[in-house]
Amino acid sequence: MSDVLQTSGTFQPAVIDDIQAKAASGLYRIRGWGTLRERRWATFDDLTFLPCSLTRIPLEGYREKCSTKTVLGTRFAKKPIQLDVPVMITGMSWGALSYNAKVALARGARTAGSSNTTGDGGMLMAERENSRTLIYEVLPSRYGINIHHMRMADAIELTIGQGAKPGTGGLLLGSKVSDVIAKQRDLPVGVDQRSPARHPDFLGPDDMIIKVEELREATDWQVPIFIKMGASRVFDDVKLAAKAGADVIVVDGMEGGTGASPAILQEHTGIPTLAAVCEARAALEDIGLYGEVQLIMAGGIRDGVDAAKALALGADAVYIGTAALIALNCNRPLYIEDYRALGTEPHHCHHCHTGRCPVGITTQDPELVKRLDIDEGAERVTNLLRAMTLEMQMLARACGKSDVHHLEPEDMAALSMEASAVCGIPLAGTRRIFGR
Amino acid sequence: MAEIICGARPAREINAEIRRAIAAGDREIIVQDPGARHNLGVAILEPVRIRFVGSVGYYCAGLIDGPRVEIDQSAGWGLAESMMSGEVIVRGSAGNGAAAAIRGGTVVIHGDAAARLGVSMKGGTVLVAGRCGYMAGFMGQKGRLVVCGDAGDAFADSMYETVCYVGGRIEGLGTDAVIERPSADEAAWLDSTLAQYLPGARRRGEDFQKVLAGRKLWNFDKREWKVWQEAL
Repeated sequence: MSDVLQTSGTFQPAVIDDIQAKAASGLYRIRGWGTLRERRWATFDDLTFLPCSLTRIPLEGYREKCSTKTVLGTRFAKKPIQLDVPVMITGMSWGALSYNAKVALARGARTAGSSNTTGDGGMLMAERENSRTLIYEVLPSRYGINIHHMRMADAIELTIGQGAKPGTGGLLLGSKVSDVIAKQRDLPVGVDQRSPARHPDFLGPDDMIIKVEELREATDWQVPIFIKMGASRVFDDVKLAAKAGADVIVVDGMEGGTGASPAILQEHTGIPTLAAVCEARAALEDIGLYGEVQLIMAGGIRDGVDAAKALALGADAVYIGTAALIALNCNRPLYIEDYRALGTEPHHCHHCHTGRCPVGITTQDPELVKRLDIDEGAERVTNLLRAMTLEMQMLARACGKSDVHHLEPEDMAALSMEASAVCGIPLAGTRRIFGR
Repeated sequence: MAEIICGARPAREINAEIRRAIAAGDREIIVQDPGARHNLGVAILEPVRIRFVGSVGYYCAGLIDGPRVEIDQSAGWGLAESMMSGEVIVRGSAGNGAAAAIRGGTVVIHGDAAARLGVSMKGGTVLVAGRCGYMAGFMGQKGRLVVCGDAGDAFADSMYETVCYVGGRIEGLGTDAVIERPSADEAAWLDSTLAQYLPGARRRGEDFQKVLAGRKLWNFDKREWKVWQEAL
C-alpha cells in the first residue's frame, strides 16, 4: 500500500466540499465572481499572433500611429458613441457594487476616454455626473427604471441575459439590500432579491423589434440601442438581435462574472467567449450585416492580449468587468483577516455575494465602502484601460496594422486543434484548419 | 387643443407631431385614427391630456411621467409600461403585460386585461373592470392591483409588496401568494377608488379578496424548500 495521499478524480476536494455544504443547507450554492472551472476549453490563450517578418511590414511603435478610436452605433442612431479606446466597462449594478466602486469606474472610464454602464439597479446620479459616455441598461427586472435617466444616457442597452448565468435573472442577496438599495429598487430591506429571467413586456424576438422601436421613440432616435445576451445559441441569437434592429450587439461569454448566482449556472451554462465571438461574427456575415452592426465581446477579458484577439476575430470593442474590479483592488492582499473571516484568502476570493468585500467593492457596508478611495480607484481603472490599449496597439503594430480594428483572423495561428476548429484558423505548424 | 390625424403615417411622425403640439403649448391633444399602431405616446413627460380615438398597439403610453392618456378602444401589449406618474385610461381591453413595471400613476382598463398584468410593478395603481389572464402581478414589488372580475392562473406569483384585490374568482394562486380579507380601510379605499375610476364596476370593497405575498420566497431558506421548488 502506497503512503502517497491519493485524491479521487471524481470526488475531488471541491466536490466533497460542495456535497457537504448542500447536505448541510438543503439548498443549491450561491456565490459570486464567475466560473472557477479549470479552462479545458479553447480560450484566447490558444491563439498566438503572427507578427510581420518578410511577408508583412510592421509599424514603428515609436513613430507610426495606431488608432484606437472606436465608433459604435452607426446603423440607425443619430449620435453614435465615440470612444478613445475599444475597452469599455460593462454593466454592474449599484447594489452588487458599492457607491464608491460605481463612481470610481465611471471616473476612471471617463479619463481614459471609455464608457461605463449602469446595471440591474438603475442609474446612480453620481455615475452620470462622472461619466463621459454612459450606457443605460434596460433589464428584465426594470429596477430603478426612470425615463429621465434613460434620456440622459449616451446609449441604451437592452439586456436579455449575461454570460455568467444566461437564461436566468439577477440575484442580490439580502445582506446587500440595504435601506438605500431597497429604496432605489422599490424592494423590502434585506430580501434576497431575485430578478425575473424574462422582460415583463415582451417575450420573443418579434416582440423585441417593437420594444427596440419604443426605446428609440423614448430617446428621439438619437442614441444607439445595444442588445446584450449571454452566449448560448450565439449564431441564431445574434441574427435575431440584428433583425430586431440593434445598432450594437453585446455577447457575454461563459467566463463572465457576476455578483451572485447559483454556482452551477456559472460552471455549467453558456459557451466560452472565444467560441462566442466566432459564432457572432459568422452570424453577422451570414446576414450581410458584419460591419454595419457593431459587436462587443465580453466575458473573462483580462488584458490587451485578450482584447486584441477578440478584435481580430471580429469584435469592435470589448467589455471588462472583473478585470476592472481587480484594478479597484479586488483580491488584493489588503485586510487579510477580513478575507480569512470569509473563509478565503486574497487571490482566491469569490465572495462578492456575501456583501462583506474586504476591499469595499462589492459591499453596502459603509465601513467597508470607505476602504475604496474613489480617486485612487478611478486612477487605477484609467491606468488599466490605458495599459490594455497600449498592449493592443503593440500587437497591432507588430502585425502591421495602423488601427487596432484592422486586426484580423489571418494575423493569428491556433495553438490547439480545438482553437483551430472553433476559430477557423490554421493550427500553428500546419496549414490545416481542423474540422474543415 | 390640437387634433392630429394619423392617416397613413408611421408612429414616429405621429409622436413627433404630439411633441410639437406639446412644445407649442397645447395641453389637450386628440389623435384620430391611431389604427392600433405601436409605440404611440411613448415617453411623454408633461402633464397634458392625450386622447387616442380608436385602438392602439404595443407600448402605448410607455415610459411616461405625468400625462393623462385616454384610449377609446383597446390597447396592445405593454400598455403604460414603466410609467412614473399620470393616468392611462383604456375604454376597451388591454393585451399582455399591461402596466408592467410601473413605478407610479394609475392605469384603468374598462374591459379585460390579458396575461401578465402588472408584472414587476413597483408602485402605482392598476384597476381592471373585467378579468385578467395568467400570471398577473408576478414579482410585484409595490403598488396596488385591483381586478373586479376573475383572475387567471398563477395569480400574484412570487411577489414582494404589491397588494392585489380580486372581485371575482381566482383560477389559481401563484407561488407564495396568500389570501386575506381586506381591512375596513382597504374596503373604503376600494369603494372610493372604484367610484372615481370605474363606477360601472358595481363592486363593493368588502366583497374583494386581498392577495399578498406570504413572504416565504423573500429569503432563500431550506425551511421553505417546497415553495422554492415550485417557484417560477
